[in-house]
Amino acid sequence: MSSLSYIFKRLLLTIPTFFLVMVIIFLLVRMLPGDPAIAMAGDRASDADIQAIRERLGLTQPMFVQFWLFLTNTLQGDLGRSILMRTDVTTVIADRLPITVFLTIYSVVLSLLIAGPLAFVAALNRGRWPDAVIRTVFQIGLSMPVFYIGLVLLTFLAAQLRLFPVGGYGDTFGERLYHLFLPSVTVALYTSAIIMRNLRSAIIEVLDAEYVQFARAKGLPARLILGRHVLRNALISTVTLLGLSIGNLMSGTLVTETVFAVPGMGRLMLEAIFARDYPLIQGLTLTFALLVSLVFLMTDLFQSRLDPRMRLQ
Amino acid sequence: MSDATFTPTQPTFLQRALRKPGFVAGLIIIGFSILLAIFPGFFAPYDPNEIDYLAVRQPPSWAHPFGTDLLGRDSLSRVIWAYQVNMQMAVFGTVFALVIGVIVGALVGYYRGIADLIFGRIVDAVITFPFLVLVIAVVAVLGPGLVNMYIAISVVYWVYYARLMRAEVIAQMGNDYAAAGVVMGYSDKRIIFRHLLPNAITPVIVYWMTDMALVILLGSSLGYLGLGAQPPQAEWGVLIAEGRNFISTAWWLSLMPGIAIVLTGLGFSLLGDGLADLLRPRG
Amino acid sequence: MKLKTVLGITVAATLAMPVVAQERGGTLNFARYDGSRLIDPIYADRNPDIWMVGSLFDTLLRGSADGNSVEPGLAESYSVSDDGKTVSLTLREGVLFADGSPLTGEDVVFSLDRARNPDLSPWGGLLGSIESVSADGNTVTLSLSAPDPTILSMLATFNTAIVSKAAFDSAAGDTDQDKSAAIFAATTAGVGSGPFYLCGFEQGASMDFCANEHYWRMGADGKALPYLDGVHFEIVPDDATRILRLQAGEVDAAEFIPFSRVAELETDPNINMQLYPSTRIIYSPINTRETRADGSPNPMADPRVRQALNYATNKDALIGVVLHGAGQPMSSPLMAKATQYAADLNPLYAYDLDKAKALITEAGVQPGTEVTLTTLAGSADDATIFAALQQMWGELGLSLVVEQVDNATRGAKNRSGEFDIHTYGWVNDVNDPSQVVGWLGYTPTAKAVGTGWENPEFNELFEKAASEMDPEARKAQFARMQEIYAEAAPLLFMYETPFAVALGKAVDGYVQTPLGNNIFDEATVSR
Repeated sequence: MSSLSYIFKRLLLTIPTFFLVMVIIFLLVRMLPGDPAIAMAGDRASDADIQAIRERLGLTQPMFVQFWLFLTNTLQGDLGRSILMRTDVTTVIADRLPITVFLTIYSVVLSLLIAGPLAFVAALNRGRWPDAVIRTVFQIGLSMPVFYIGLVLLTFLAAQLRLFPVGGYGDTFGERLYHLFLPSVTVALYTSAIIMRNLRSAIIEVLDAEYVQFARAKGLPARLILGRHVLRNALISTVTLLGLSIGNLMSGTLVTETVFAVPGMGRLMLEAIFARDYPLIQGLTLTFALLVSLVFLMTDLFQSRLDPRMRLQ
Repeated sequence: MSDATFTPTQPTFLQRALRKPGFVAGLIIIGFSILLAIFPGFFAPYDPNEIDYLAVRQPPSWAHPFGTDLLGRDSLSRVIWAYQVNMQMAVFGTVFALVIGVIVGALVGYYRGIADLIFGRIVDAVITFPFLVLVIAVVAVLGPGLVNMYIAISVVYWVYYARLMRAEVIAQMGNDYAAAGVVMGYSDKRIIFRHLLPNAITPVIVYWMTDMALVILLGSSLGYLGLGAQPPQAEWGVLIAEGRNFISTAWWLSLMPGIAIVLTGLGFSLLGDGLADLLRPRG
Repeated sequence: MKLKTVLGITVAATLAMPVVAQERGGTLNFARYDGSRLIDPIYADRNPDIWMVGSLFDTLLRGSADGNSVEPGLAESYSVSDDGKTVSLTLREGVLFADGSPLTGEDVVFSLDRARNPDLSPWGGLLGSIESVSADGNTVTLSLSAPDPTILSMLATFNTAIVSKAAFDSAAGDTDQDKSAAIFAATTAGVGSGPFYLCGFEQGASMDFCANEHYWRMGADGKALPYLDGVHFEIVPDDATRILRLQAGEVDAAEFIPFSRVAELETDPNINMQLYPSTRIIYSPINTRETRADGSPNPMADPRVRQALNYATNKDALIGVVLHGAGQPMSSPLMAKATQYAADLNPLYAYDLDKAKALITEAGVQPGTEVTLTTLAGSADDATIFAALQQMWGELGLSLVVEQVDNATRGAKNRSGEFDIHTYGWVNDVNDPSQVVGWLGYTPTAKAVGTGWENPEFNELFEKAASEMDPEARKAQFARMQEIYAEAAPLLFMYETPFAVALGKAVDGYVQTPLGNNIFDEATVSR
């Protein structure tokens, strides 16, 4: 199968997926207790005011009409108007998206920097103390509640020692790296643990494989073996893992952004849910889904590049 | 294992298990956690809901090893009673997803066809949602509370088990014995439940252990956001939320439940890792 | 109780100060709990919007420091005709909008017509007595359909602030809403004449105010206010993070400090912890309907049960655990102490367990009866209130259970009556008791804050007070309403709380009014 037709087939498959995503979110949002009109008008508004708002928001129309409008408008790139922010949902998302994407990529990079070398150390020392120490430390990292660690880091590293800023997210690239360091580290604590674990077993698997044993027996230098077989294999499995956990990674930003006061999409999502901002919830979900699908697609392509067997499956 | 050739019998599962310090540590932590969860009243020195307005936010002392909270309740007793909630979370937050996921995954993996295609779309749709967003949305629909949280988690999470199970079943079907079963004319039911399931379930069980740790984290995150356990029920996330304003002044309020979360999570992870090692096909 | 009378001190200091070198310039960084979304006098309907209107816009009259009378604002003088049906105001000469264009009678007519249009503004009803507004040169005349004792207060309220007609005429958009949003999004001077204009806005993240160099009010040094070059707001919803940012010196002020942190911050040498007196009351509406939402009989329909709940609630203990002492029990059943005409019924339902038990027995409530308290999910205060009430009411044999919901759900439940008791709060928007009394007790409009309580005498009194021009008679009407309300107890009367704002040492002159308005007019920051 050629690369192009593979991509085409993959893209074709995302159509029903997206339809399903839209149906799920549309229904879920309308099943939320409470009413966007009440949330919008405030507790003090009269019943007539609320009815007027419901009509203005198009909430009095039958469900399927609302869904049809949602579907057709979305296809035209119109995600509606945010009740909460009083502007177009697309504008709001365009503002927040770069921050969340930056935070996500930043924490992935940090995770790789932390987990990569340590996974090699652990794998090469399998069963000995460095392995045990590294694995235990990461296992603890895996069990740490993000919301607690975030606060602890903020309190001690930022507020007391003043090593990092407590909040804000900077304007230039360098400033962002500095401002978003703590939130990214917090997310990375968890992500790096998963990567480390996966990478370690991927390396061990290769080291144990017969062809590597054979190469070793033949006296090929260890560096070459590591470079040729281990790295390649480790890369494939790490990319796969990262691709698959991108959804969870973005979930992590939801709590992190709240604790660290980073104005990204995660925090906005929480606000939107609490304010019953239907268009915004829908728009954000679709954006998240689009991002995740995109990452999945890239992961697939990357895999089929590195590992031609994948394409046949 | 190299010394196996010198002993007359292979070491039993238990013997092998006991040689793994990580696994043993996990077993001890989780065993003790279960004890605390079942008999919190026996271990807790005080009634966890007894309010004492005159002794609020007392630092740790002999009388109150973990100090007291905002209402003068004994923090140690609250952390211990929270074991009941959080361990229950680990079980109920995963077991429905596990059962449904395993059954659906096995069936879809075995029959493939149109069901598999539909399943594939559902999986894609669910995993393209950021997990927490979906759970929070479902909790928001149903209202906060533990039972609703279990429903929300299960609704989302069975997909992950099903996907894992499906992949394993498909891999197992490539093996000779499954093919042999088909040739010998066994019923589908027999092939699935007698041959495929036992062989395919190992990674699912291992995943389950890690998942329990994950669900405790998730549950306490929801508790922290006010969407999980309801007060006055002590739950680690809720306890941390209560102490979040006092990290530098009354650090014990949030540190103790924080340690409990990490410790339990560590226990489950160690158990999962140990099991993965022990159950890995050897040869 | 150590409420600091900051307001009084500042005003006194300003008056007493000789004309000396005044600290000027600089930007004050202010951490907020929630962001503004649209600061327009008539569309502002959330506190983070309402409380900022005064910084960008001016009203014709201004509330006095004690909140009980009005002073000249954009109008340098005003008079009410003998029949109470005509209000005449003379505009101050030479007032300019922030872009330098003059503020005229035409702008006033435009603004007031907009403000009283109920199709546009949720606040339109408060100006229902105005029949027409006209301007002749510097004289503005309001014709009323009936005498309105609140009209002068209303002209000092945010929703009657003056906007530039020219700015609206030239703004993009078809409807007034669109135009308003476009003006706000443009972040340029020209729509208001307040001490600042909006010069930067990032939705949900930050906001900037820049000094209006044409502002008409003078500072202590004889030059125009404000002293600051600008104010930079950042939205930090998490309480702990907001305080950390102040402690780290990243901001100069942090608002809505949780009361549990007040004592600690008071001892911090780098922080000036302020508790501004407020009109905020915290109370819990009790469902008084005969049946609950599920159809079962409602024990709280009996006023004796509601009284018992009030007597069994130890307010001092609540204030101790929830507010850490920074509050006081409600002394009027309908309003905060600082509100005009507030009756001092102190102690209002002083803690008396025996009385409570007697009442509950008299009402025949079975021991073990379940009552649900609906609280706000994630609110630490609500969780504490619940734990305390559960214990206190347990003494009556009641079993209190909790139901946590988010804000939107609580609002919907309040509206539909699907609750037993839920937590709530109120801050006055207007310097007049009618607003809060209408909200809490008057049935035709607000259904007595969702409790379902109804009292014909109360409603009649309320309607009378709406056009009563004699202050003494009006005061008596409100006194009687408070009596009726206290007796009927459709609420669990809890407490009043101040506004807790932590300031860095560099900040001086910042004030939050009892209505909640953030006032930066005379604030300074010394770097």
